Amino acid sequence: MNWTLALPEIVLSCSGLFILLFGVLQKRSEPSFACTMLTLVAFLVTGILVVVAPDGAGYHGQFVNDGFSRFMKILSLGAAGLAAILSLDYNRQEKTARFEFPVLLLFSTLGTLVMASSANLMTLYVGLELQSLAIYILCAFARDELTSAEAGLKYFVLGSLASGLLLYGISLVYGFAGTMEYAGLRQVLTGGAPLAAGLVIGLVFVIVGLAFKLSMAPFHMWTPDVYQGSPTSVTAFLAGAPKAAAFALLLRVLAQPFGHLAGQWQLLIEIVAIATMFLGSLAAIGQRDIKRLMAYSSIGHMGYAAMGIASATDAGIRGTLVYLATYLIMNAGTFGCILAMRRRGRALTRIEDLAGLGRTDPTLAVLMAVFMFSMAGVPPLAGFFGKLMVFAAAVQAGLWVLAAVGVVTSVIGLFYYWRIVKVMFLDAPVAGAFDHRAPSLSFVSAVTGVATVLFLLVLGPVTGAAQAAAAALFG
Amino acid sequence: MSHFFLHTTLGLVILTVLECLAILVPLLMGVAYLVLAERKVLGAIQLRKGPNVVGPFGMFQTFADAIKMMTKETVIPSGANRVLFLVAPFLTFLLAMIAWAVIPTNNGWAIADINVGVLYLFAVSSLGVYGIIIAGWASNSKYAFMGGLRSAAQMVSYEVSLGLVIVCVLLVVGSLNLNDIILAQRHVWFCLPLLPMFVVFFISALAETNRAPFDLPEGESELVAGFFVEYSSLAFGLFFLGEYMNMILMSAMTSILFLGGWLPPVGIAPFTWIPGPIWLIAKICFVLFMFIWVRATFPRYRYDQLMRLGWKVFLPLSLGWMVLTAGFLLATGLLPTTTPHAAAIAASAQTPPAVEAAPSEGAG
Amino acid sequence: MILTQIAFYLFATVLVLSAAMVVSARNPVHAVLFLILGFFNAAGLFLIAGAEFLAMILVIVYVGAVAVLFLFVVMMLDVNFTQLREGVQRYAPVGAAIGVVLLAELVFTVARWQVVPHPAPIAAGNGLPPGITNTEALGRLIYTDYVFLFQACGLVLMVAMIGAIVLTLRERPSAKRQDVSKQHARMPADTMEMMSLSLGAGTTGNHALAAGRDGFLRPHDGYGAVADEGGPGVRAPEDHEADHHHGA
Repeated sequence: MNWTLALPEIVLSCSGLFILLFGVLQKRSEPSFACTMLTLVAFLVTGILVVVAPDGAGYHGQFVNDGFSRFMKILSLGAAGLAAILSLDYNRQEKTARFEFPVLLLFSTLGTLVMASSANLMTLYVGLELQSLAIYILCAFARDELTSAEAGLKYFVLGSLASGLLLYGISLVYGFAGTMEYAGLRQVLTGGAPLAAGLVIGLVFVIVGLAFKLSMAPFHMWTPDVYQGSPTSVTAFLAGAPKAAAFALLLRVLAQPFGHLAGQWQLLIEIVAIATMFLGSLAAIGQRDIKRLMAYSSIGHMGYAAMGIASATDAGIRGTLVYLATYLIMNAGTFGCILAMRRRGRALTRIEDLAGLGRTDPTLAVLMAVFMFSMAGVPPLAGFFGKLMVFAAAVQAGLWVLAAVGVVTSVIGLFYYWRIVKVMFLDAPVAGAFDHRAPSLSFVSAVTGVATVLFLLVLGPVTGAAQAAAAALFG
Repeated sequence: MSHFFLHTTLGLVILTVLECLAILVPLLMGVAYLVLAERKVLGAIQLRKGPNVVGPFGMFQTFADAIKMMTKETVIPSGANRVLFLVAPFLTFLLAMIAWAVIPTNNGWAIADINVGVLYLFAVSSLGVYGIIIAGWASNSKYAFMGGLRSAAQMVSYEVSLGLVIVCVLLVVGSLNLNDIILAQRHVWFCLPLLPMFVVFFISALAETNRAPFDLPEGESELVAGFFVEYSSLAFGLFFLGEYMNMILMSAMTSILFLGGWLPPVGIAPFTWIPGPIWLIAKICFVLFMFIWVRATFPRYRYDQLMRLGWKVFLPLSLGWMVLTAGFLLATGLLPTTTPHAAAIAASAQTPPAVEAAPSEGAG
Repeated sequence: MILTQIAFYLFATVLVLSAAMVVSARNPVHAVLFLILGFFNAAGLFLIAGAEFLAMILVIVYVGAVAVLFLFVVMMLDVNFTQLREGVQRYAPVGAAIGVVLLAELVFTVARWQVVPHPAPIAAGNGLPPGITNTEALGRLIYTDYVFLFQACGLVLMVAMIGAIVLTLRERPSAKRQDVSKQHARMPADTMEMMSLSLGAGTTGNHALAAGRDGFLRPHDGYGAVADEGGPGVRAPEDHEADHHHGA
């Protein structure tokens, strides 16, 4: 057994345990900052190990390392690292800077890595639970705030329901196919035996369970409340790495074991994607709270990304991967800007609070505008390329309706993103300037802002990596 | 004749019933005399005489008490949940009895010589808390409720270290069968190599049975009588019986896991003449004497001290010792790799165990 | 064997009925008790299937520990179910619709049961020599083939533990903590001092009268219970050093 395959995961979990121990032993000296830094180092080391880890399957068919898992792991680690940096100053200001925060963040990220490498439905479930459980706790991290506790509880209850559905689906699949390994499932499905209805029902339940985690319509109802109620540093993480990991699961499950059932799931994904895109763009229009708006925005983005899956082609999956990469960058940047919204030590989340930002803090306003336009898909910003690729893939696969809906909802999306830009630049300032920005926020916003603007320069390598990942998935 | 008992369904059923009676009748007598013994020993320690009026040396005192109790009226408090109020004592009594199904009294002598005997015992002993917590809740009385909650927390806490201690023993034995565990102690009783675990087990057993110094659930001075404050007459009697049977059960478990069960102390002539059951009974009596001795000498623990002892002392200790045991066995190559063949051992015994009867009984 | 079948149907029926009672029972405590009954019957089913280890673990873990805590919480919370039930009527149609859909799917599945011509072999049953007990077989699978998942599950549980501590542990600086080892290490000489009093003089001066004639013992400080840093109350100077290492 080649146990070194999972070396990144092993190193990350060991460093998680070490950081926890360090935090407990250094409890008296406020170790939150040191623990976050150690977590970042652990992410970095793990990232290097992920890049150099060998390809192959191991652990009795439960774990696989290939181009796809590598791509997704790097995305997850990057997003989680940015979220960890974002949390640094915010947690301190909100008096929730306890050393367990980076530890939980680390374990959640570990869950996303396990998810990306799953080669067995059990690995899928365990990884998903590890990731989700840590996030439930993080959502309730500001335990003295009613909204935070409510967000944690709500997410926990609905997430458990989703896990139940997922498990039910897995058990059906296992019952009808006799195996939970992706390779074995593929063998059973291509064996020429007539397709068992139970298997399809199981697949539907698995998709529903994952759609829940991705907050795709009609399983999105938890998203706005959880995004709004959680501490913003948690929301920044919640909207990033876990989404990428859940997409990794969805992609792998649909493309590898159930690749031959594309006819069965393609329509389902298409319908879900259409519903998600509509919901994400329409419901966002009336929002007053920027975190809620971001919730609907992320719902919409999940719809666009699912568009690539619905086309069920190499190009589609490549599009989805590029879309996810751009989404993670924009998301981190936007939350960097949202976290910077505080006056007289109090965090603000209403959109009106941004009024006149163009005059009081032009740098922040320009950055925010860049992210908003990128999210709307305005060329030549990062968001445009992701959208372009998934639309092209949908058109190539003959899914005209899907592509048309995507274009329409993008236009609607442009409207509400524009509204924020309008508030920032055209409205008069109401309550003076924001507090001085914390350096961590400036750093993240600046880095992601530059990446968003200059994405064109790295488009080639990113697309190449996504292409390799998609090829690994189908190969 | 032997064909009828061993190979026909009816015969097997009759045989099993007889076996059950052979265990339960001595057990109930044992409870009667344990109560007497407790009073006598306490009396001796406190320089009193103890019961000495009813019968010679007070031998019939318990029976007199039992008759008195049975002729009293069963009072059900208003506002009590009638069904659960009456179910609770029966549950306690029942659980205390069914655990005895797997206790081996001699080589291969058990009503059900099942593969997972230790787990069965552990499961049944962990269910004991239900009788108490249901009684506490169904009584609709605050003292009873407090007692029930206290005991629930206490028993769950001590079960954890109890389980880890059992795991230590299992590591050494390599089997979950109680008979195998005893046979593995042919050369040395586990109370010597696993001495710290023996101590932890004994103290946890005190806590599991709600005995002094851990008798907070019934602490007279704080909670009147704890969870059974509202019980009278036969219902109280059942609780009483169940508690003492649990004590005997825990003593039997201690004897089996650490004191070599039915094995004589040394396997040479004068000791081997005495049959196994006598040795087991002698060991149980010794452990019971320790129970009573502890009760007579130690003051009651405070509740936070009790929790501290369970979670902060016993849990790390037993966990560490388990790792140590496993590491030692692995390093010295003494780790048992194959299961000692329970079947072969059973075949050499005089009475074949009724193995098939075990699962359905266990679940009932 | 007919007995086994009877037992199976008995356990299965009671299991389904008690599961139904869990959701329909008016009293939450009764619901938990029915849940326990359900666990027992599931354990019985495991026994019939020959999985004695799983059966016992189900009873130990779920009945012996998890359900006790459920019961504990339900009894303590005193949930008002009539209030909770007000929402039921509003959501009943939606719930019923979902239930019907699920039921239809199940019927659909069961009705086409024969679609799979031969049951696929279950991987877990393979490759074990005969005569190995259920427990040993499980152990071999879990600790060799599935060690990755085993460890991952361990991490899940650890995260849950961290969560429980993060969300509930509140350090009260004023809380008094007991340090048993410190109490044990305390000698009479550390904490008592001999006072000698002349008749009718009283004890106004603390140390002035501490000459070594026969007198009485006077305690120095509280009996080993000390407040964490910043706590109120006067402490003897020798406590300060000992305080730093028993806060965690």
